[in-house]
Amino acid sequence: MKATNSTGLIFFPAYDWEISPTHPERQERLLYTQDQIMEEGLLDIEGIHEFKAGFATEHDIQRVHFCIPDVASRITPSHNISAGGCIEAARHVLDGDVDKAFALVRPPGHHSMRVVHGARGFCNINIEAIMVEWIRFNYPHVKKIAIVDTDCHHGDGSQDIYWHDPNVLYISLHQDGRTLYPGSGFPDEFGGPNALGMTVNVPLPPRTSDKGYLSVIENLVLPILDEFKPDLVINSAGQDNHYSDPITDMAFTAGGYARLNEMLSPDICVLEGGYSIEAALPYVNTGIILALAGLDYSYVQEPDLDIKSIREEQRILDYIYRLTDGIFENWHKRNELRSEYYAKKEYFQRNKSIYYDTDGISESQVEVVRVCDRCPGVFKIDSQASTGYRILGIHIPRGACQECKHKGLEWFSEASGPYYGVYLQDMDADEYQVRLL
Amino acid sequence: MFKPWGEKDMMLGIDVGGTHTDAVCIDNGSIISTVKRLTHTQDLVSSIVDAVEGLDVDVERVERVVLSTTLATNSIVEDRLGPTGMIVSGGPGIDPREYFLDENFYLVKGAIDHRGRQYQELAEKDVIDVGRRLKARSIEGIGIVSKFSVRNPLHENRIHSILTEDFRYTSMGHQMSGSLNFPRRIFTTYFNTAVMPVQHRFLESVGMALRDMGIYTDMLILKADGGTITYNSAFNLPVETILSGPAASIMGAVALTGERGTALVLDIGGTTTDMGVLAGGVPLMQPRGVDIGGKKTLVRGLELLSLGVAGDSRVILEDGNVRIGPTRVGPPACLGGELPTPTDALSVVGLFDEGEKERARKALSDMSREMNKSVEDVARLVIKTFCHELKDAAIRFINELNSRPVYTIHDMIYPEVIRPEGIIVVGGPAGSLCSLLEDTFGIPCKVPRYYEVANAVGACLARTTVRITLLADTYLGKLLCPEMDIEEDIPGNYSPDDVKAFGMERLDELYEYLGMKDRPETDVVEEQSFNMVRGFRTVGKNIRMRLQTRPGVLPLSEM
Ligand SMILES: [Zn+2]
Ligand SMILES: [Zn+2]
Repeated sequence: MKATNSTGLIFFPAYDWEISPTHPERQERLLYTQDQIMEEGLLDIEGIHEFKAGFATEHDIQRVHFCIPDVASRITPSHNISAGGCIEAARHVLDGDVDKAFALVRPPGHHSMRVVHGARGFCNINIEAIMVEWIRFNYPHVKKIAIVDTDCHHGDGSQDIYWHDPNVLYISLHQDGRTLYPGSGFPDEFGGPNALGMTVNVPLPPRTSDKGYLSVIENLVLPILDEFKPDLVINSAGQDNHYSDPITDMAFTAGGYARLNEMLSPDICVLEGGYSIEAALPYVNTGIILALAGLDYSYVQEPDLDIKSIREEQRILDYIYRLTDGIFENWHKRNELRSEYYAKKEYFQRNKSIYYDTDGISESQVEVVRVCDRCPGVFKIDSQASTGYRILGIHIPRGACQECKHKGLEWFSEASGPYYGVYLQDMDADEYQVRLL
Repeated sequence: MFKPWGEKDMMLGIDVGGTHTDAVCIDNGSIISTVKRLTHTQDLVSSIVDAVEGLDVDVERVERVVLSTTLATNSIVEDRLGPTGMIVSGGPGIDPREYFLDENFYLVKGAIDHRGRQYQELAEKDVIDVGRRLKARSIEGIGIVSKFSVRNPLHENRIHSILTEDFRYTSMGHQMSGSLNFPRRIFTTYFNTAVMPVQHRFLESVGMALRDMGIYTDMLILKADGGTITYNSAFNLPVETILSGPAASIMGAVALTGERGTALVLDIGGTTTDMGVLAGGVPLMQPRGVDIGGKKTLVRGLELLSLGVAGDSRVILEDGNVRIGPTRVGPPACLGGELPTPTDALSVVGLFDEGEKERARKALSDMSREMNKSVEDVARLVIKTFCHELKDAAIRFINELNSRPVYTIHDMIYPEVIRPEGIIVVGGPAGSLCSLLEDTFGIPCKVPRYYEVANAVGACLARTTVRITLLADTYLGKLLCPEMDIEEDIPGNYSPDDVKAFGMERLDELYEYLGMKDRPETDVVEEQSFNMVRGFRTVGKNIRMRLQTRPGVLPLSEM
């Protein structure tokens, strides 16, 4: 047996880290997955390589986040290593050591937004985004990146971070926000004025199973990727769509996950959620690894699988087909929509209320972005949290035009008022500064 | 200090290698006699007899005989295994038939999951049917393996009890090792049964030959992990005796130097140079198991790098650069060969005295002309290249060991970095290379006395080693030790300390049974304990532990 695609595996189960002893994010989470991987002998297969995780530096984290008041207060070493594991996965792929890689790491990250006052949805920092920004800085030939988020929860953090970025396409498939945390991710959340259509949300009805789920990959995700032509595809491989997951209500199978990865053929997978630690994760992860490596996964199956009992009803499938068609139609109209909404505006403002469920913090944000035809557009975020911190964060994007760059630096130097500090991300300079007021 | 030697304690160590058979006799903690003979590859028993006869031995005082042999290794590598039946039950995952080597491998229905719960019953009718077919082919040995059998040996035991009457040789996967890895379990169990017939015949003949010489003590056999097993265990687990040769040399280096620090061991032979690593004087083990005959097994072995840069390696000029190995060209020119080798280079500069120096000079003369350098300069260049090749390989080896994945935050932040503080060199050319290696590596280099027979010394003094795996699942109320075939009911409050105490007691009983005089040190080499939470309630603990006798050697009194 030999892998068709050489595949790297970064396995970091963090056997000494938990949110609390009975929390879904606890030490035991990847234990049975490791058992299954070891028993299958996956690491002995020619072309499958295990690599050691690493550490993400403070600088790596600052490329993505405004951590309030600072990086050290918002994270523990587990977060450095989880993000560092993703970075190592990317390094081995981009250096050509392997064709593909899977970062099986915890804790997860896709609910973490650009501003971080605390933990949301078990996430402190966004491990994919930290990896993506590390890639763009270190491998500048990688211009366009697509993130396909197949966690059952809407990746509202990743969406927030890439909302204004026309070079990162973020597609999320998730259980409908009307029925599940975090309650967002509807088709009309479609990207900011400079990146309209670069956020694509597919809220799936509860009980969606293999047929419905894979139809979205085939009829929406793959055609959009074909048109976007990314240099790199990343799968946020949450595993909580599984029929046995205790905190969601979907009906996806291990075989379905494997098929998904075969169809999508991502360059890098990053584990996100997934809390059916005994009945799902061992089989789902085995399936994903085999599929990534291009090996036969047809014998990977949950012992208790009764495929007939979880098959979607026809009306659910019909709903999904209609939904997919609508989203695809909108995607093709993204440029018309942009001129319709934003053509005459110089700045665009959005107001957001954010709740940090894990830490019980509320935050309100006013975000102002410069509508720009020449670059992704500079933006600033005025953020006030119930912890008492109020800050201004300014983001000068990669490839910013002169006007946007000047505007950002002007905002940074002239800001005054009731802020704890002003934070600056200057992506092209790779400089991240804080001016305390 | 504790002194393990008594009046009668004369001990013999014998290492039957591919080229040489080495033997030593140790009396009262001192090496009193050594011998090196050519191996009769067609008759290993007579090689052993020759070697022992060459020693200065008082047969009546011999208390311990340890044998390291290539027999099992060679029968696997040279593919001289008789037909062996394999009965395998799987479960979801990779199709087990991927691992089938021939038509005598059979898949039967039955499945157990990662926690050891049966979710598909064993198809006993199929087992009986497979037994009949194998019998009809006059097959005498079978291997029995089920997936996750180390979590629950139910199906392996059941198949065994159905078929045991009909077959002379049987092995079960869970008895090979407590580690997870289904494909390795299949190959290990297969090799184990397949080498049984030849191993049994061999051990019986060696035992007989020794008795003929007046040596009646029970023989011990060296394993790939540098420990010994008893004669009886070697009958049941012959696969454990493969690849013991390199382990013998490394244990010999430990014995001859009394090393207690972190050191690199180089065993420079004719065909290969083997490298091992000592940490705190204890050899490092491979995490998963040794490879043999192109297959990965669960056989525990020392962490080793085998390099085709050795005394008899080919030396050529490539684009003006000296290249050594990786192939062997037969004996060095100075010892009757035709082509130049590193040994010839040593001969030219006067660091190797055997054979004919003139032949060595002649072998290097082509290179001398081509490079427009004196033969001496070419020889020095060859030796320098030789030392640098070893150093580069050592650096790669150590880097690789240090970049092994770890699974806890603690181990990421506080890694146990291996940084050798010295080198120990054994094997043929060791003596002449000491100061050159010291210069190249930049760390102290030791060449112990008796370095040419370090392997036989290592075999002679290696301690018995055992490793057991313990798994407690208090939610299921079960404690399992697959290697010892123990399955016990445990209460819900069973703790990691209870698991350890249980394991230590079982090991003590085993040491007692093996008649081991001094109780060896036992290490907890792995320990994990997880709260199992279902719903939002803790329902039990999942405890995993590995206990292992620390590999080591009996002390030499002059150390
Ligand atoms: Zn999730
Ligand atoms: Zn601009």
